[in-house]
Amino acid sequence: MLKWYEQMVPDSDVVISSRIRLARNLDNYPFSSKITEEQATALVNEVKGVAASLTEQEKRKFYTCNISTLSDIDKTAMVERHIVSPLLAEKEQTTGLILSEDETISIMINEEDHVRIQAIVGGLNLEQAYQEADHVDDLAYHKLHFAYDEKYGYLTACPTNAGTGMRASCMVFLPALSSARMIQKLIEEVGKYGVTVRGIYGEGTKSLGNIYQISNQKTMGISENEIIENLKRIVSQVVKQERKRREYMLSVGADEIQDQVYRSYGVLKYARQISSDDAMTLLSQLKFGADCGLIEFDREFNIHKLMMGVQPGSLQWTLGKNVGSVTRDQSRAEYIRKELPAIINNL
Amino acid sequence: MLCDRCQKRDAKILYTEIINGVKKEQHLCEECATDYTSFQMEKPLLNSDLTLGDLLSTLLDNYTVVDKKQSGEANSTVVCSNCGTSYEEFIQKGRFGCSKCYNSFSSHLGKTFKGIQGAQFHTGKRPKGYITAGSERTMKDFTEIEKLSLKLQEAIEKEEFEEAARLRDFIKQMKKEETNNA
Ligand SMILES: [Zn+2]
Ligand SMILES: [Zn+2]
Repeated sequence: MLKWYEQMVPDSDVVISSRIRLARNLDNYPFSSKITEEQATALVNEVKGVAASLTEQEKRKFYTCNISTLSDIDKTAMVERHIVSPLLAEKEQTTGLILSEDETISIMINEEDHVRIQAIVGGLNLEQAYQEADHVDDLAYHKLHFAYDEKYGYLTACPTNAGTGMRASCMVFLPALSSARMIQKLIEEVGKYGVTVRGIYGEGTKSLGNIYQISNQKTMGISENEIIENLKRIVSQVVKQERKRREYMLSVGADEIQDQVYRSYGVLKYARQISSDDAMTLLSQLKFGADCGLIEFDREFNIHKLMMGVQPGSLQWTLGKNVGSVTRDQSRAEYIRKELPAIINNL
Repeated sequence: MLCDRCQKRDAKILYTEIINGVKKEQHLCEECATDYTSFQMEKPLLNSDLTLGDLLSTLLDNYTVVDKKQSGEANSTVVCSNCGTSYEEFIQKGRFGCSKCYNSFSSHLGKTFKGIQGAQFHTGKRPKGYITAGSERTMKDFTEIEKLSLKLQEAIEKEEFEEAARLRDFIKQMKKEETNNA
C-alpha cells in the first residue's frame, strides 16, 4: 500500500498535503491537565482497543504503540513525518498511537485531548481527508463515549478547539511568495478570514524549505463543511498567487533561476557532508525548478519524501542508529546521492 | 569567490530575487543561503503563535472583569464538583479540567466563547447515535428547523420511521419556504 507522500496528486506543485484533525475526549477521565499517570495508562489502553475493530471494519491494518516507551530517534522521526505532534512526543506521561499502515490515519492518545484523530492525504483534497477522519470518528464513537454537548459540541481541553474540535490544514510550498517577501503580508491577509499560517511542524516551529501550514482558527459556530469550504477557498487563492509569482519570476529571470536550480542539484548530488537545513533549502530549489519545468529527471521522483528523509530523526531511523552530527551530515549526503535521480540533459 | 554576506566562506549558490521589479543577485555560501532564504519567517510566526496561546488567558481574564462588575461578586467560588478545577484556575491556564467543567462554568462560558470563537453555539456534527436526552436546557437556543431536526434524529434513533418521514417532509417544506422568502 502506497503511503500518502508516495502518491502522485494534483496541485502538488503548491499544495503538498491536506490534513484534518479532530479533537475528542472521553467523559470518564479528567482532561490532560488533571489526569493522573494511572488514569493515563488506563485511557491509552482503552482507546488502543479501538484498533482491532478499525482493522476489521476498514480494509487496512491499524498498528498501535505506546509513544512514551519509544526511543528518541523513533519519536523524532514520527514528528518529522507528521504522524505525531511535537507535544505528544515530548510528553512524559503514558501516551499512545494508533496508525494505519498507509500512514493516512493516526490517532494520538493522551495528547492535549484524550483522542486526536488525524487524516492526511496528498495534494489539495480536504474533502477526502475529512471523509477519512469522519469515518474513523464514527467507528470510534461506537466504542468510546466522546464528551459531547448539544450547546458546546465536542468538549475539548482548550476552549479554542471546542465545537467541531476540527483543525483543517494544508501544507503549502511557497518559494516564489517567500522570495518576494510576501509571506508576512499573506499571514495578515488570510488572518482576516480566520485562517493562520505557521511553520512546517505546526505551532511554534520554524519554516523549512519554504513550506508552510495554513489552517482554520475557529471551531465553534461553524460546521465542518463550512470550515473546509472556507479554507479551500483561501488555499486556492494562495495557490493562484504563488503560481502567478512563479510565472513572473520566470519571465524576468528564467536563466538565473535555472542556473540556481542546477547548482542546487550539483551540491545535492556531489556534497560529501550536508546539514538538514542546507539540504531543505537546496531541495526546495530543486522542487521549484522541477515544478516550473526547468529541470527534468530520468524517473518519477518525489521531493517531499526526500525532504522528510533528510530530517535528523528520519535519517537516523533509516540508519537504524543514533549518530553524531558529522557522521549524520555524511550519511545525509550519501542518502541524497542514492535517492536523487539523474537529470535528462536536453534543456 | 567569497560569500557576499559573510565574506568568510566560499560562495556556492547564486541567489536571485526580484524586489519591486528590480533584480538583485547575491553569491552566497550554503549557510548564508539557508539563513537568507528562510526569509525571517521564524519571528513573525512565533509571534502569531504566542498571540494565540498567551492571549487566551488575557482574553479570558478580561471577560471575568466584566463579569465581576456586572454581577458584583467574585467568580473564584465557582468550582467544578467533578474535577476540582476552579473558574479562576480555568482562566489562568486556559484549560478545562474535565468535560463537566463546561457545565460547572456554564454561566460564564457564553462570553468566553463569544470572545475566542466569535460564536456561542456548536453548529457542526453530532455524533452518530447520540441520544439527545437532557438537552432541554438548550432547546430554546435553537431555531424551529433545528428543533425539528433534533426530533427527526430522535425518531430515527428510536426507529419510529413514520414519524421520521413526516418530520423530514415538514423540514423540507420549511426550508423551501425559507429560501423563497429570502
Ligand atoms: Zn556566507
Ligand atoms: Zn471539571
